[in-house]
Amino acid sequence: MLVYIVQRLAIIALTLLVVSFGVFVVVHSLPGNAFISQRVHGRSLQILLHEYGLDQPVMVQYWHFLTGAIHGNLGVSLYIRGEQVTPLVLRELSVSCEVGGAALIVTIGMGVTFGVLAAIRQNTWVDYLLTSIAVVGYTVPSFVIAGLGIMIFADFLGTITGGAFAYSPVWTGTYGTIGELWLPALAIGFYTSGQITRITRASMLEVIQQDYIRTARAKGLRERVVTIRHALRNALVPVISILGTTVVGILVGVLVVENIFGIPGLGKEFVESITEHDYNVTVGVFTIFALLIGLSNLAVDLIYTLVDPRIRY
Amino acid sequence: MTLGKPHLGGGAGGRHRPSQAMLAISLLALVAAGCGGSSGAASSSTSLASSQVLKYPVFQNPGTWDPGEADAEVDTEFMQNVFDNLWRFDDSLNIVPDIATTVPTASNGGISADGLTYTVHLNPNATFDNGDKVTAEDVLYSWDRAVALQGPYSSNLSAIAGYADVQSAAGSPPASSTGSPLNFQQSIENGLWGCFRGKGTAGATCNSSLEMSGLTAPDGLTGETVQIVLANACGWCLAAWTLEGTTGAIVDENAIHNDPVNWWTKPSSATDGMVGTGAFYLASFTPKQSMVFKAVKNWWGSPKPTLTEVDIDIKDPSALATTVAAWKQGSYGIIGYGGDSGNLDYPTIESIKSSSYSKDLLTQPKGRTTWLSFNIGYPSTGGPFVGESAAAVGLRKAFDLAVDKQGLASTVCHDLLCTAATGGLITKGLIGNLGDGQDPLAQYDPTQAKQLLKEYDPTGTLTANLTYSYNTGGLNDPVAAYLQNEWQTNLGIHVNLNPVGDASQFISNRLGGQYVMSRDGWQFDYNNPQDWYANLWGSFATAAGANTSGFDDPTYDSVLNQADALPITQALPLYNQLATILQQDVVYIPLYYSVGNFLIQPWVKGAGSNTGFDYYWDQISILSH
Repeated sequence: MLVYIVQRLAIIALTLLVVSFGVFVVVHSLPGNAFISQRVHGRSLQILLHEYGLDQPVMVQYWHFLTGAIHGNLGVSLYIRGEQVTPLVLRELSVSCEVGGAALIVTIGMGVTFGVLAAIRQNTWVDYLLTSIAVVGYTVPSFVIAGLGIMIFADFLGTITGGAFAYSPVWTGTYGTIGELWLPALAIGFYTSGQITRITRASMLEVIQQDYIRTARAKGLRERVVTIRHALRNALVPVISILGTTVVGILVGVLVVENIFGIPGLGKEFVESITEHDYNVTVGVFTIFALLIGLSNLAVDLIYTLVDPRIRY
Repeated sequence: MTLGKPHLGGGAGGRHRPSQAMLAISLLALVAAGCGGSSGAASSSTSLASSQVLKYPVFQNPGTWDPGEADAEVDTEFMQNVFDNLWRFDDSLNIVPDIATTVPTASNGGISADGLTYTVHLNPNATFDNGDKVTAEDVLYSWDRAVALQGPYSSNLSAIAGYADVQSAAGSPPASSTGSPLNFQQSIENGLWGCFRGKGTAGATCNSSLEMSGLTAPDGLTGETVQIVLANACGWCLAAWTLEGTTGAIVDENAIHNDPVNWWTKPSSATDGMVGTGAFYLASFTPKQSMVFKAVKNWWGSPKPTLTEVDIDIKDPSALATTVAAWKQGSYGIIGYGGDSGNLDYPTIESIKSSSYSKDLLTQPKGRTTWLSFNIGYPSTGGPFVGESAAAVGLRKAFDLAVDKQGLASTVCHDLLCTAATGGLITKGLIGNLGDGQDPLAQYDPTQAKQLLKEYDPTGTLTANLTYSYNTGGLNDPVAAYLQNEWQTNLGIHVNLNPVGDASQFISNRLGGQYVMSRDGWQFDYNNPQDWYANLWGSFATAAGANTSGFDDPTYDSVLNQADALPITQALPLYNQLATILQQDVVYIPLYYSVGNFLIQPWVKGAGSNTGFDYYWDQISILSH
């Protein structure tokens, strides 16, 4: 197992190298830069480019970036002159992890719960309702749900209750509050929970037909124990297998939804850093994202072994 | 053994009646809706709220708050509350004293008879927010440093004797091996430290070549008198030196010395950080997230601030809808401050105007004009508009007269986001605006346009395959479509559109004269026509690499030089003459003046804007609500 983990980490490191190099070269080849404006051109522009080493060959610039990145220094922001990129990106990463984590809780909570309920209430109105919700969930993109949520919970509810009951679309501080987090988490989680619901339902339906479930009931165990301790555990195996792609879906959702809600996470940074020609921030964000995806996939693979003892690496 | 249907509490298919508790809650909500006040209701209270904290969003990240380097409106709108210049613009854009005790004139002896020497007396009460007293050496240091840094507004100080020498001595930054700007700014700081605050301290050296010879302290560095000697007469200098948040701002060397690059990102403290003389200081800055400014206790200036704190959230423009929703809920006091008065889009403004919030919408013309520039002076770029031949001028005139400028303001801007530019390129409300309808290029005459086209391009070969270039976003796209339609309809000419997605690339290409026809524009810096005529046309603009059209005429340069040397009252007729030259040569097609839109809560008193900037925070108070 240790060898497997080391191998995966090595692959992740190689991936980061390729991603950082590719992104670095691409953003530096884009036209324009962070400094040009109606006022900044000619000599003042040349001074700035020289100050930040941007007049050096791209490979030289990448080498400086790489040697710094190995020591945790991702360079300085070009847009916010001189601001260190590493603490900026790490802070925004933590915010995105918060939003993504909340979305994951919604995803799994809603998805598994709805799937289980739909399965044990198969072919009843509960089943039909929950599977319909799942279909809506994975059909409607998260940014549409986000927009609808703001319209309903912020605008409409705020208007009819005179502001007494309304979602406040203001993000307080770095990490917001629970009252501000739930709607973005729901917008992302609702979309990604749809597939979880359907797979959980299908998996549960298969599992509850098994002999050992019948045996458990015959032994007199309560239905809740049969469902959760015996059926669900086995039904979750296929769910975990798609958790990796679900996490990626959540990360993508975070990128979009953060922009809509004005959440100061990596999602906002993704687009901003590109349009602002903030090269070091762009490379830092992409590299961090690649690291996040690599580590989350590794985590999912390791969780698999906990759920299914038959799986060994 | 058969499986029974599982039960999870409650029978499947069982019906649940709404409980009495739910009914009560619903009724309470309805009552709350009826009793709850709307943010759009006028505040009838005149008493101050217990919490004097103003909160508002901005939709751009600050780039830098170093006055020696700043160039963006989003930056200077904050800096004007933290830093002071020797003078400031009041709400009517008149120059009034700030750190200086008076505005120098010839009559009060502040300006010598030959107009070359300015004597400035500093307010003895002026202090930085860390307690350091402002003395002459702070003015000398601030302006010498700004010149040495060679930032975007260093030319505001270009008339001072020794300016060019300092820039030459400062040179270019050394080649950066790490991409850090530390070396250049550190070297300038090291050179100046021993000349001013660090004079006499161990290890401090003074590089006197970084000091402008025309900037001196007759009563000594710790005195309160500054003398400014110009290399040549300059009628626009006072206005340029007054431009807040840029090179004229006075900074504290004690704060900058320890970290010349990042000093402005740190909260103000006794020995470093964003230290200024303004009514507010930076209390915290979380990049790309938020900023907090707090009022300086016992601030030396006036009016004394009522606000105790200003909290600013940094948002992305895509979050406009949520931000407006938050404003409606009362979470924000203002939207539009911080250079974002152009961010409220038409649908948002329309919905506000038709709601109970309509009286909270403030519309204010801003000092920004947009026009179309022709390629006149760059033969390598080509096009039928190059040069001053009758044909070239005639074709420029044809394209100009074919555009209905009032129609553009109505169609594209819905008469809300802009107004037709009919008073010349200098925006309405600024010195140098000619008055409504006084710009002959603002006329719309499709008949004459067709005649000119037929006369100068009878076969249509000269005007075939023309392209209009512009940077995408905002009004630029619908304006481009409108222009294309006007030329097609009124001239029968199809002009291709070249939308450039990257603004910096577009500006770079445009300033290099690479476009035959392009969107052009200018946001005024200070209320003097020199700001426009020197920076956009003529040899000075060409030398600075900023002459989009390439229009470079000896007569223009001669008149400009004469005007620049005179006080504004005498210079204005000459600047108007420059306007006439540009109009006679049809150097541009005037399009529109920008209009800013703000949402201001009724309980935010004193907030507003003029053509140039948002009102200062020290004028604002929060009423009970």
